[in-house]
Amino acid sequence: MLKLFGALLILFAGTMLGFQQAARFAARPRQLRQTAHALQRLETEIGYGHTPLPEALTRTSAFVPAPLNRMLALASEGLASDEGLSFRESWERAVREIWGATAMRSNEQAVLIRLGSTLGISDREDQLKHLKLALIQLKAEEDSAREDQARYETMWKSLGVLIAVLLVILMV
Amino acid sequence: MLSRITHLLPLELKAILERLPAQVQEQLEEIRIREGRPLEIGMGGQSRFAANDGTLLTQAGGAYKPTADLCRKLLERMTNYSLYAMEEELRRGFITVAGGHRVGLAGRTILDNGSVRGIREIGAFNIRIAREVPGSAAPLMPKLLDRSRKTVRSTLVLAPPQQGKTTLVRDIARSVSYGLWGGGDAASWPGRKVAIVDERSELAACVRGIPTFDIGPRSDVMDACPKAEGMMMLLRSMSPDVIIADEIGRPEDGEAIREASHAGVSVIATAHAYDAEDARGRPVLRSLLEEGAFSLIVELRRTPSGIMHRVLTAEACVRGWAAREPTAVVPRLAEDAAPLFSGLMRGDAMC
Repeated sequence: MLKLFGALLILFAGTMLGFQQAARFAARPRQLRQTAHALQRLETEIGYGHTPLPEALTRTSAFVPAPLNRMLALASEGLASDEGLSFRESWERAVREIWGATAMRSNEQAVLIRLGSTLGISDREDQLKHLKLALIQLKAEEDSAREDQARYETMWKSLGVLIAVLLVILMV
Repeated sequence: MLSRITHLLPLELKAILERLPAQVQEQLEEIRIREGRPLEIGMGGQSRFAANDGTLLTQAGGAYKPTADLCRKLLERMTNYSLYAMEEELRRGFITVAGGHRVGLAGRTILDNGSVRGIREIGAFNIRIAREVPGSAAPLMPKLLDRSRKTVRSTLVLAPPQQGKTTLVRDIARSVSYGLWGGGDAASWPGRKVAIVDERSELAACVRGIPTFDIGPRSDVMDACPKAEGMMMLLRSMSPDVIIADEIGRPEDGEAIREASHAGVSVIATAHAYDAEDARGRPVLRSLLEEGAFSLIVELRRTPSGIMHRVLTAEACVRGWAAREPTAVVPRLAEDAAPLFSGLMRGDAMC
């Protein structure tokens, strides 16, 4: 009886583990897309609205889902605080702080941090170019993330169950 | 004075400036920041270099030198992290920040068809601290009155930069608007409607359209508007009794002032010129004075004991010029008409 219970527990844990991994593969392209949307919105605020950056970040954060909204809000709050941060520092800190909560990888983190070192310190044309560049890079990451999703999502779902089954068989 | 702008400065710079002697902090007029070169402080018309520990030096050696990082942070803060939203300001070469302080910028310009489109690689900043000195126009007001019309006469204020022109006309605006005519029989006159064209956002220091300086209850401000256009707009829309404009000098400004003076509106304007004689060399000012668009000229001069002003009538001044032209027939009128230096405005330093 106890053995059966243990075996069920292992099976359950393995399945969950597999599903969790699969979910990460599914979440990455979705979050990349959301990041791109956020940057597009920022592009509009900068390019057409001439909105000052802190306000543009706050406004954009209201339109994107978690955890990205927190990143934008944190970056904006860092500027308002009296720590004397430059925009680059505030932005980088915000990106790093929320990164653990996202399914995104270091490639896209590097893209965002690089973008942070250019935002706000050049004329409109230049800003739009930098944002476009970041969008293109994120799109490339999104494409590869989709491929990964197609390749590994179902694999991980079944792999979790199968590993659990293997463990159970080995133990019995 | 320093406390008014500290929120704009990076922490490192703020710390150094806060170490300056209290009296210096109070008299601070200009902070000049140049990347990699000594930090310069302007106060009471003098210039000093500031060292890391807040002592003031007359020589540049040993002074604090701002780093590239500090300049970048300063620029970010001055522009609210949004250089892209400041294109018009960059084209003009300065930014006006909340509180009316003007930050002049220098760097490498970007050209577009031969005209300046903006500045990039900004390496030098000049922070001019604005201050209002309520009452600084009080000694002058009685001399500007037009008793028949119960208002002020059209006046041109002349002085080199940094002598207190803007502070003075701001206080004239306030006085006219409140009806502070300076006592005597004028005490009972009502205030007049004042329209201010504030191209550089220095007179009223508007933040989102609301003046931050006290410019009186009957004043309307057209903020960040080209003077000539602004004067015409206000003339048509706000039915002013007095129009106030800062730093005139372009031909279109002259055109607008002519228009206003023929519409029965008094114009009070400032211009960069050492004195009336100097103004003669500026075609726009000269023709305005010759045509009688201004009836008075006020010259400002900063002296160690305060700011001196001298009021002369435009008519006398123009006659003086004519007298010195080779064909003139009235040789000595200039001396007869030249009034003396009068009134000492104790506004301490003004910008």
